[in-house]
Amino acid sequence: MDVKMSDAVKETVGKRGLKDADVQEVISNAESTKKKAVNKNGRILAKKVINKVTIYADYNIERGILKSHANLNSAFSHRMALGKVVNATGDSDWTCASCNEPAKQGTVEMSYIGVSRNGPAIVCPKCGDAWTEEYLATKTIAVAEGLFEKKKA
Amino acid sequence: MGYEELFPAIDTKWHTNSAKRFASPFVSNPHDRIDVDAIMLSHAAVSCGYTIRDFYEKPELGIHCVSYMNETYDLLPVTHWFYSLPWVRELGMKLQYKDTLPPIPVGPVIKDPSEVDKLRVMDKEELKRNFTQQEFFRLYEYVQKNIGQTLVPISYGFDLVGAAAELCGVENFIMWTFTEPEAAKKLVMKYTDTSINGAEGLADKYGFAMLIVGSVLANNDIFSDDAVKEYGAGSMRYYVDQCFRRGAGPQVFYHLCGNHETDWKVFKDTLIWSPFTVFHVGYHGKKVFPSSLLTKEFGSMATCMGSVDTKLMINPNPMAVYNQSKEQLLGGRDSPKGYILGNSCECPPYTIPACMRSMVKAARDFGTYGTW
Repeated sequence: MDVKMSDAVKETVGKRGLKDADVQEVISNAESTKKKAVNKNGRILAKKVINKVTIYADYNIERGILKSHANLNSAFSHRMALGKVVNATGDSDWTCASCNEPAKQGTVEMSYIGVSRNGPAIVCPKCGDAWTEEYLATKTIAVAEGLFEKKKA
Repeated sequence: MGYEELFPAIDTKWHTNSAKRFASPFVSNPHDRIDVDAIMLSHAAVSCGYTIRDFYEKPELGIHCVSYMNETYDLLPVTHWFYSLPWVRELGMKLQYKDTLPPIPVGPVIKDPSEVDKLRVMDKEELKRNFTQQEFFRLYEYVQKNIGQTLVPISYGFDLVGAAAELCGVENFIMWTFTEPEAAKKLVMKYTDTSINGAEGLADKYGFAMLIVGSVLANNDIFSDDAVKEYGAGSMRYYVDQCFRRGAGPQVFYHLCGNHETDWKVFKDTLIWSPFTVFHVGYHGKKVFPSSLLTKEFGSMATCMGSVDTKLMINPNPMAVYNQSKEQLLGGRDSPKGYILGNSCECPPYTIPACMRSMVKAARDFGTYGTW
């Protein structure tokens, strides 16, 4: 599937050190496996671990008569590995496409450089999949990764 | 003479060791012993020969006293300074400094539920120009310049329900939760939104901001479990969620002062848990909250902070503090995400130094990693 993005999104993706090919792979994987979260507006949140980094694509599918393409809204990443779901604490705007069940705001195990703690995420209570939203990945988790590195040193 | 000239420089050897101890629960890397956080505020000023009033009127002096007394007692490598009513000035309240107390409200800002809508939430830029944010900016600049190794920029939501209640008078607020619940909720939201904007302002400046938020007035002495969930835990969740969305966090200290005999159950599946969360509960009925229960229920969620009864800290019986510290350490020290020994709330201004030593001695005797 083709991926299209505005110049502004392309710049953000570049600044975050992400490769277009990796983002493409995240989207291709999500579209073939259906492992993704979808919201009411058709926004899709998909992830794939590539070289120990979890890369996310936030996109919409634009369907044409002959061909569809993905319109990338944003891409981001984190180095913490997401583990099993700990709890679900509230409603979210997302649905797990794989289970067709409402995804929840919740808590997942997060591990990084040998440390396992808990952190917030969007979780599917049925299949146990979890996704990190952009604000968490680029702010909360990014700072947490830095603190882990500093405190572990 | 600046306040920094009143104190000898920090012993860097002590600080390096204390910093490793402080980090250890969060990175699963046991250092020498379990840490002690006595929640020391004006006791630090009193111990350095100043007054309670000095502590609150002169924040730079107060926080330097905290730093010095942390080293004296072998407590934390980081500093804090606060009082329980941040942000209320920005909602129109006047505070009065007292000789023996933190700043107290001169009187309620509103008296009728219909007046809640009149309270205006300042945005972050306006807050930056006002008293609370200015005071904290000035304070952290002082710390950064003079005792930089102790700096953690902290934004205080503190007691979201208790501070909101002061805006209309605590008795009024409690009444409104029964007779005018929508007004009571809106009032808490006004205070909470102001606190969130403040946290965002601090995060803008430092790139992150530790959050301290609690459920103090919302406890079982006054409220049912359902009401604590709605007013206390629910507001705390909203506060942390919004702060994270705006770049504050990831460190969160949840402080449940007061009696949480049964309402503790509402917090686990309501709060937001980050990798750097500490969870602390003060009392279980009239007794101190048992660390065995605390860590059984919350040990898999976050680092737990157990409590020694603050009343014991002014009781001329250091052995009683030692024994309760021991009991709490034995109940909490195996907590999977780490344990800190604390007081049930701020240690009293006139805490007996021997009692403080008893907490640290117990942590050395029963909290040394590898000896149990």
